[in-house]
Amino acid sequence: MKKFLFFLLILFFYKVTAQNKQVLYDFVELPQTLLLNPGAETSYQFHFGLPLLSGLSAEFASSGVVLTDVFSLDHKDINDKISKVLNNLTTRDFIKLNLQIDIFNGGFRIHDSYVSFGLYEEIDVIGYYPKDLITILNEGNTAYLNRSFRISQLTYKADVIGVLHAGISKKINEKLTAGARFKIYSSALNTESSMNTGTFTTVLGTNNIYRHYLSNVNINTKSSGLFNIDDELIDDPATYLKNTFFGDNIGVGVDFGLTYHITPQFEFSGSILDFGFIKHKKNIKNGTLIGSFISEGSNFQYDPDNPENFWNELGNNLGEQLPVKENKESYISWRPTKLNAALKYSFGEKRTEICYDDRYKDFYTDALGIQLYSIFRPLRPQLALTAFYQKSITNKIHTKVTYTIDDFSYANIGAGFSAQFGKVNLYGMLDNILEYTNLSSANSVSFQLGINVIFN
Amino acid sequence: MKSPTTTSIIICFFLITSCYERLDFDQLDNFVSKPIFTFSLNYFSLVPYQFFTASGDQQIEISDIFDVKDLQNVYFLDDVVKLDFNAEIKNEFDREVSIVVEFFNKNNDVLYTFTPLVVESKVLDYIFLDEIKIASNPDILDTSKVKITITLAETGIPLNINDTSEVEFKSSVTLYIESRF
Repeated sequence: MKKFLFFLLILFFYKVTAQNKQVLYDFVELPQTLLLNPGAETSYQFHFGLPLLSGLSAEFASSGVVLTDVFSLDHKDINDKISKVLNNLTTRDFIKLNLQIDIFNGGFRIHDSYVSFGLYEEIDVIGYYPKDLITILNEGNTAYLNRSFRISQLTYKADVIGVLHAGISKKINEKLTAGARFKIYSSALNTESSMNTGTFTTVLGTNNIYRHYLSNVNINTKSSGLFNIDDELIDDPATYLKNTFFGDNIGVGVDFGLTYHITPQFEFSGSILDFGFIKHKKNIKNGTLIGSFISEGSNFQYDPDNPENFWNELGNNLGEQLPVKENKESYISWRPTKLNAALKYSFGEKRTEICYDDRYKDFYTDALGIQLYSIFRPLRPQLALTAFYQKSITNKIHTKVTYTIDDFSYANIGAGFSAQFGKVNLYGMLDNILEYTNLSSANSVSFQLGINVIFN
Repeated sequence: MKSPTTTSIIICFFLITSCYERLDFDQLDNFVSKPIFTFSLNYFSLVPYQFFTASGDQQIEISDIFDVKDLQNVYFLDDVVKLDFNAEIKNEFDREVSIVVEFFNKNNDVLYTFTPLVVESKVLDYIFLDEIKIASNPDILDTSKVKITITLAETGIPLNINDTSEVEFKSSVTLYIESRF
């Protein structure tokens, strides 16, 4: 239970993100790449994914700290280890968790267009490390006279959603393929806090030894789906699952993407994903803490007619100047919009495959390129730059190796393959494979795998 | 890399050779967070006229009581292991001043008393520190009221009611907390 609470403490400081799937991006042999770029070129006639098995992806990432930093069997004092970890972490460090599972997906071709659709469930959590809050809770204020502890560092977001989507990819001409996807989000759970302000400072006082400031405090927390109408925590997983299928907290979003051949061998692709929002209006519980408060303690009046109550006085002043308020007002949460862009140069052996329209399509066995991924977050956008090499070993076996620089690593190597056995397509992708020698000390690990049935 | 078998072997290699270092989550049982918080407490400033009654009689002693009825509801109270009470006193009066601080429970039983703070005349930088270990004085956490009594030394010379000299009292408390998961 203690360990669970410890992880809950970590998870408390989270904020929504999504997974960078740099290996899967532009892996055009796989229908799942259409979720990363609805304008990806596809050559198959139709496909369907095996229910619950067509797409499973997971990512856990932590910048600044890994499990072995704290829990390694090194016979060092746990207090020293945690203290060292806390000192080394910065406010730019964060932890994120992303799980996504396809419930179903499929697609079919209509002339030069490919229509794809599906439903997936997603858990997204990210939290930034509120260094000042942790410092004051763990060390107190005594050693930090005159230091302003920033309450504003509290930033987290967690989402559990179901996403029903349908998109179309259309070949405009020989050079350009463009696509779009419409999404309906059904939120089972959302909790977030961001854009907060405020500091806590202790300085030498005038009337008393110390003066304490809570300045410009504006803390807001929002939640939907977490508490029921009686303000009781919803602890039934079935309720959350049910609400991912057209619950009361619904939103919409769109994806756009394109692929453009600058020359027959040189192409640009790009996409904007999850440009949308969710309107939360059911099972809402929001909180605000707004105001400023200054205290030098209690001033004794030596008035026998007016006995004093130190705590009441302090509490009343605090409540008046820095009131905690709750409300059940509906609110909008924006989806974390993502950008992908890639340049790819194809080369090597020129091969031919039969296309959906019985024409023959040329392709090259090798490709080199770079990809840029960005996701918008409240504190700052996060970027990942990837160099990749793609190799088609046969017409049915395709591989991709990536090298990514991101917030977690300057040496993130990923690899993936797609293999077609008759109509059955099997794919698997691993990120940060160098970390697999010791997962306990990994800053980031992720994978995607699935099984499709594809008809060319 | 000319056959599907080779590709499969490579992928399987990473899956099979992936391993993890053994971790000991039970270490958390030994983790103790030890924050130290300092907060201002009471302060006052007295001038001679406050020692006179409405009828003009001078008093030797005045006192005030403040309630801390909800102290027991402070959530981290059980984790407090030590209290440091600090006081800074300035006595501009022409006589010695002694200050007695007493802690009472809800039944008005005295739980703890500071050693009387005796500040001689014209001493402007008197500093007092009392360290209270909770293990030795657990009852202090049951405090529900605190009484502060200021007593003037008998000099035989009455105070000048119009004098502007002051007795100034400032105080703070430092809480030493030890909390475990």
